[in-house]
Amino acid sequence: MTATERNILVWDLPVRLGHWLMAGGFALAWLTGDSEEWRLVHVAAGGTVVGVALFRLLWGLVGTRYARFADFVRGPHAAIAYLKSLLGPRPAHCVGHNPAGAWAIVLLLALGLLTGAAGWLTYQEIGGELFEELHEGLASTMLAVVVVHLVGVAVGSLVHRENLPRTMITGRKIGATRDAIIGARPLAAMVLLGWVGALAWLLSR
Amino acid sequence: MKPLIPFVLVAASATAVAGTPVQILDAYANAVGAAYQVSAQRGAEFYARKFGVSAKMDSCATCHTGKPTQAGEHVITGKPIKPLAPAANADRFSDPAKVEKWFKRNCTEVVGRECSAGEKADFIAFVSGGL
Repeated sequence: MTATERNILVWDLPVRLGHWLMAGGFALAWLTGDSEEWRLVHVAAGGTVVGVALFRLLWGLVGTRYARFADFVRGPHAAIAYLKSLLGPRPAHCVGHNPAGAWAIVLLLALGLLTGAAGWLTYQEIGGELFEELHEGLASTMLAVVVVHLVGVAVGSLVHRENLPRTMITGRKIGATRDAIIGARPLAAMVLLGWVGALAWLLSR
Repeated sequence: MKPLIPFVLVAASATAVAGTPVQILDAYANAVGAAYQVSAQRGAEFYARKFGVSAKMDSCATCHTGKPTQAGEHVITGKPIKPLAPAANADRFSDPAKVEKWFKRNCTEVVGRECSAGEKADFIAFVSGGL
């Protein structure tokens, strides 16, 4: 830590809470997918994923600095250049999301929404086996992206000597004071929690 | 327990259309062995048996009702379930992959293990009205 570097706030509360709600929701939905006895829990878990993803779309436009899509969504070339730099002597470091992680975020948000939509149509018995198969295929694809994401987090943490899972809990990284976000936005986090809770309850009731 | 001779005969005379209940039943019976005698009676007992594995979903009949020709009801979600019997619902037992998928899911949860090929053959014999 140089003189200008501090433990600064990077991830606001809605980003962190949304991340763990989505991770927990997906894990629970995956584990209960084949069970009829846990069907309502499965629907609520899927509803949680969808609720977080919908909120995140809005938060990507109006959230704090590093939560905004404009801050981190980059093309494939940027992602490849970033990954290549990890192999070299001077790995590129980002205060916010890196361009490869950004792809995981966009893919997981899209897959979360699509899987949830297909699952809901199956649950309503609309479209029959088509949506059932689609739901399962999308969920498996999402699991694959989750695995790649976890590998990326592990590699990123090692290369940058930065505990990224802990960062997603505390919201803090080592960086220049001027790079910090101003506030954690606890009120928006409450709105997220209320919205997700209401949606999960409505869908599984 | 009477072996289900008619089913063997029907199977032998069935035209080669992929995925009729008889063909799917036959494939399971053949997986046990050529000598396996399918029994709708055993299937009926299996269908009604309380396995004591799942508290809320104790038996097949819990959701699918005592008669496979009737519509059932999911005991957790309350959603209607179309009849299992091909006689009442032509979609049933017409797609081997789908049949296998649902046997695997529901057996694991209700029976507490995967069902054997013989149990599946007997089950299809029963719900197909072989009793």
